[in-house]
Amino acid sequence: MTGASGLVEHFFRREYGRLVAVLAGKVGVRHIDLVEDAVQGALLAALTAWTAQGLPEDPGAWLYRVAYNNLIGDLRRTAGRLRILERAVDAVAGSGDDPAPSYFAREVADDMLRMLFVCCDDAIPRESRLVLALKTLCGFSAAEIALRLFTTEANVHKRLARARDRLREVPPDVQTPPLETLRSRLPSVRAVLYLLFNEGYLSAHAEQAIRSELCDEAVRLATLLAEHAVGAVPETFALLALMHLHAARLGARLDGTGGLLLLEEQDRSLWDRERMQLGMEWLQRAAGGEVFSRFHAEAAIAAEHCFAPSFGQTRWREIADLYAMLERIDPSPLHTMNRAVAVAEWRGPEAGLALLQALVPPAWLAGSYLWDAVLADLHRRAGNGGIAQRHKERALSAAPTEAVRSLLRRRLV
Amino acid sequence: MPKYLFLQRSVPGQSERPSPAQMQEMFAAFNAWKEKFKDRILDMGGPLKPGGKVVTASGATDGPFVEAKEIVGGYMLVSAESFEQALEVARESPPVMMPGSSVEVREIREPEGP
Repeated sequence: MTGASGLVEHFFRREYGRLVAVLAGKVGVRHIDLVEDAVQGALLAALTAWTAQGLPEDPGAWLYRVAYNNLIGDLRRTAGRLRILERAVDAVAGSGDDPAPSYFAREVADDMLRMLFVCCDDAIPRESRLVLALKTLCGFSAAEIALRLFTTEANVHKRLARARDRLREVPPDVQTPPLETLRSRLPSVRAVLYLLFNEGYLSAHAEQAIRSELCDEAVRLATLLAEHAVGAVPETFALLALMHLHAARLGARLDGTGGLLLLEEQDRSLWDRERMQLGMEWLQRAAGGEVFSRFHAEAAIAAEHCFAPSFGQTRWREIADLYAMLERIDPSPLHTMNRAVAVAEWRGPEAGLALLQALVPPAWLAGSYLWDAVLADLHRRAGNGGIAQRHKERALSAAPTEAVRSLLRRRLV
Repeated sequence: MPKYLFLQRSVPGQSERPSPAQMQEMFAAFNAWKEKFKDRILDMGGPLKPGGKVVTASGATDGPFVEAKEIVGGYMLVSAESFEQALEVARESPPVMMPGSSVEVREIREPEGP
């Protein structure tokens, strides 16, 4: 094996996340900047060394050694100026020679999860949590994050800076806290993973690879969480089930030219059977305890779609019921709107419209293309051509991308 | 006679992936579980008494009961004279015979008298 070409896909990105988590676990998250610099330096060194000399026997251990030495060197230099750092240096460098990485899968998983919980500090603004996780755990650069979240690089830097400000406030005596003490952040961790998945799944970006990458990262971290004692509860299993069950249909949502396909147009034989199996296994594990969470409801809805033999044979009544449960757990007009769509399939467009007419949509929903698209569709099917046409025009002008616009044109005839 | 709940476990990835028919059954089991929440009825069977034993091919151990990487593969309600007798029954159940699988036995608390 010569050159860096023998490495598995995403090797550098994955190693970045592992190394940052392991080293931050050793010296404390308040030194996250130094840790990231040290890891970045190690990856750059690897590019040079490995290209010239070929891959080392154990690339992961090589990177760890270089990053570790970089970090200790940086900490010592900084400690000259800041006395408070001395203890951190002693704690790491003084704890005996530890250049041989304790790279047991279980410890790495521990460190990764701890980092994830650190990212989900309530004191860090929600948008910053997601960005911080993408940066430190998934190894994306600010530019890559901006591309995936449809925002500017400057905005990503701003969000990261806010998160780092908070991390620097962690008192110097406090090393990264043990996982057990972070357990109360579990709901926040799940919320960030859910957000991460949705960014990938719902985004209308035509570039399939870019979208599915975010979904993959969400599944990877959620799996770590579900397999660890700290997160192994039914709600986490339900979250993972919903990710797999949605991801199973991801590939079939695009036509040959990258355009979006409606559910009824999708070739169900293209749905990923293995993902469906995984999703179902996690859903089965989720069926326990005394909590029926929003993730349970959403996973069950995804499962109904996955296991319906055809669009026409979908159990719309079950889906409508599940949306009703979701509304009770997490009241949102978005769920009411989705229930109206399911009810329209089950009992006809008038029944769906009746639900919507009882609803005063908030500005964010009323201004979205989805709201107008649903009304256009239901009114057209109920025979109210004029009203349908008005909503159709508004939906088309509010559609975020050409792919969505072309989908609407087909559905709303 | 006291009732005992047997929870069957297996490790994900070690067993064969479910067939379409099995997935159908799994989904039905989930939906059956879901039903109790539909009308916010929480009473389904008695609550479990704390403590119990996990029976594997190599013997019985005390917890931990919800260990990472394990899944509850199914459950069974069994009436037995005593906890010991329930353990006996568990030892003879098919999942225990398979390596990597185990059955957890929990006594179900009977409702208090009227």
